[in-house]
Amino acid sequence: MFKDLFQILIFPGLTFLVIFSLFAEYFDRKLYARLQNRVGPPWFQPFADILKLLAKEELIPCEANPRMFKLAPLFAFTAAITAFLYIPLWQIKTLFSFNGDVLVVLYLLTIPTLSFFIGGWYSTSLFARIGSVRSMTQLFAYEVPLFMGILSSALLANTWNLKEIALFYSAHPWFWLFNLPGFCIALIALLGKLEKVPFDIPEAETEIVAGSFTEYSGKLFAFLKLTLDIEMVVGAALLAAVFFPFGLQMNPFAGFVLFLLKIIFIVFLLSLLRTVMARLRIDQMIDFCWKYLVPLAFVQILLNLAVKGVILK
Amino acid sequence: MSFEEDIKQSLIKKFNYLEPVIRIQRARRIFLEVTPENFHPVFEYIAKDLKFSHLCTITGLDENEKLSFIYHLVQDPGIMINLKTSVPKENPVIKSIIEIFPGAEIYERELVDLFGAKVEGLPEGNRYPLTDDWPKGEFPLRKDWRKKNA
Amino acid sequence: MHNSEEFKIPIGPQHPALKEPESFSVALKGEKILGIEIRLGYNHRGIEKAAEERTYIQDIYLIERICGICSHSHSTAFVQAVEEIAGLELPKRALYIRTLIGELERVHSHLLWLGVAGHEIGFDTLLMYTWRDREIVMDILALLTGNRVNYGINTIGGVRRDISKEQAEEVLKAMDTLEERTKYYIELGLSETTLVKRLSGVGVLTYDDALRLDAVGPTARASGVKRDVRKDDPYAAYGEMDFKVITEKNCDVYGRTLVRLKELMEAYQIIRQCIKNLPEGPVTIKAPRKIPAGEALSRYEAPRGEDVHYVKANGTEKPERVKVRAPTLANVQAVKQMLKDRFLADMPIVIAAIDPCFSCTDRLVSLRQVDSKDKKTMNWQTLREYSIDWHRKQGIDFKKLNQKLKTNV
Repeated sequence: MFKDLFQILIFPGLTFLVIFSLFAEYFDRKLYARLQNRVGPPWFQPFADILKLLAKEELIPCEANPRMFKLAPLFAFTAAITAFLYIPLWQIKTLFSFNGDVLVVLYLLTIPTLSFFIGGWYSTSLFARIGSVRSMTQLFAYEVPLFMGILSSALLANTWNLKEIALFYSAHPWFWLFNLPGFCIALIALLGKLEKVPFDIPEAETEIVAGSFTEYSGKLFAFLKLTLDIEMVVGAALLAAVFFPFGLQMNPFAGFVLFLLKIIFIVFLLSLLRTVMARLRIDQMIDFCWKYLVPLAFVQILLNLAVKGVILK
Repeated sequence: MSFEEDIKQSLIKKFNYLEPVIRIQRARRIFLEVTPENFHPVFEYIAKDLKFSHLCTITGLDENEKLSFIYHLVQDPGIMINLKTSVPKENPVIKSIIEIFPGAEIYERELVDLFGAKVEGLPEGNRYPLTDDWPKGEFPLRKDWRKKNA
Repeated sequence: MHNSEEFKIPIGPQHPALKEPESFSVALKGEKILGIEIRLGYNHRGIEKAAEERTYIQDIYLIERICGICSHSHSTAFVQAVEEIAGLELPKRALYIRTLIGELERVHSHLLWLGVAGHEIGFDTLLMYTWRDREIVMDILALLTGNRVNYGINTIGGVRRDISKEQAEEVLKAMDTLEERTKYYIELGLSETTLVKRLSGVGVLTYDDALRLDAVGPTARASGVKRDVRKDDPYAAYGEMDFKVITEKNCDVYGRTLVRLKELMEAYQIIRQCIKNLPEGPVTIKAPRKIPAGEALSRYEAPRGEDVHYVKANGTEKPERVKVRAPTLANVQAVKQMLKDRFLADMPIVIAAIDPCFSCTDRLVSLRQVDSKDKKTMNWQTLREYSIDWHRKQGIDFKKLNQKLKTNV
């Protein structure tokens, strides 16, 4: 009982996750800045931002629906944290595990987007509503390649359980190399989920101010910001668990550090991508996802089926 | 003969009353003045037949009893005609030129706001550049306009 | 919004896409723009009226402050007109220095634009890179004129500062660095997929429309209109410079980007020629305080397009009338045309692509009391009193501050 609570609230749950996410945000921001030839923020900047926001008054627009407006960030925050508990962090163990948990993680990661939509919609601001509609439109574009990319790896392992995926790949080292195209697809789709350049269309600053977040302030905004950071870490962790399942035989501590390094590596790739690209338009984004990512994901699935049929037989 | 001289001669040939009012100030700068009745034929001739196809702007001038408007037209490359016309201040009515130069709309609105010109044929629209609650009958660029409390 | 598909969103007067207050009201259906209403005038400062109440020398500095980016353009256009009325024949060296500063200003303005354009399409890396490089030319301007923004180098009858040999060398060195960087940006602009995707085919202004709506500057040149005052109506030392007028046939935002990038390369060439051929001699001649009666019209190719100044003199030391037409006012008409049937996402970049400078465009504002019943115009004194009164009501006491100031004096 106490062990469970400790795991959920302190380590590797809430507290650790929040701290690590803020660190990941720092890493992302610093790297982004250095790549742009700027100095970048000091290490405590994300923490200071959150603390400042938590101390600020929160304003709720009179026309907004106060209950939905307040609940949306909490939904998003909770869902993102819950998703983390199913991901194997060191060796092959996860806190909770059952058959099909990879799907649960994916769906839990969809909830923040839905919450942003609800929060933006109920804040009644025009900019927020346009942003909300855009984030939903975008959801339908990136979700399919993301699912296909991640599930192709599960398909090869013949299980929908993250723990067993890890088991399979430690029994068949180097098989993860087959999934590299799937990794690229999932990484690009993850950019869409995290609403980062080139897919930061729902919060395009120069068009619609901050999209769904326009009316948020104070604590609620702090939760939204935290959610975005946690989403980034959880998304990166999911990708790391599914696509880089190596080094699982090491001792727990080394394995854990390696896993964090994998997450940081994926965050690094995300920052790199957002540095070198411009924001696409929503129609271009949907075009790109359906015309290139989805067919590529099909190819990956076919490849994995072939591998399964020929090599693993 | 220079281009400027050519243009001057063709203008005089078409409208002989222009002879005393046309002058070439320097290379590429022609100034002329017409009465409001003659304005439109001359303007159309310059814009269409002489191909002065670029309207730089319209300048308003307050000349005591009269309001004057100077239309700055350019022919590619670089020759400029400054066509001036004057109307009485009590009833400063000019005709709009947006049929020939659609881009002139904003310049005409400026004349309306700052000089109180009445432009015939200018469609309804947002005013420019003064605020919507600017008091009626106050035209800041007229010479007799002074800031209140100044 | 609540029940129909169509709704209006306000872009401005305050909006992150706009660097200055101006209002665009956009009617949207989904992401598509149905119509757009432009309301200008938020930046009116009464400069034309104020210019009539000041002497010519004071006016130079006033007019320089019409715009922060093309300050040299406005002051040059103004002094050119005054010099024409006064019949002054300027020393060659002064004209060359004016040209040099004018081109440096074009470099800094175009680099600034490139950064802003990058930001509008969410490509912040481009913004950071170009603004870093812009610092180089800003430093050069500070070195030559003593100021980064309002250079104050023009005066009636010449320029106020000479250029030394060492300064000239610094300029040449900076040009080499900038040329190399600009080449990189041109290469980037031609190859980066997301950049090309966001820019090409957006904000189309056909050749005919550009002519019909009197577009000027890079906006017109990107539609294939070969109009450049520097070539058509040479002023300062441009008649002796060897440079090309850049035009593109793309007619879209991508074309406008290319025109500006290539114009940067031309500007470096002009700057080099200015330094190389800089004639010896004085930089200024004596100008009369009272300008004889007369009128003149001066055109200047500002970074954003043709800048027109009309000056009428009446024989006193103050001008009778000064009229300024900034390039943005000519181009803003074309924006409506460019945004027809486009997407909301294109709007910031299309507006940015004419390189709008609204404080140039508007030139008059007056401060009026809104809380009292009779809407009086406030002058400086009443405004000051109002402010002191307001602060006193908030419990801020100026007595101590005043005493402190007195003791310091």
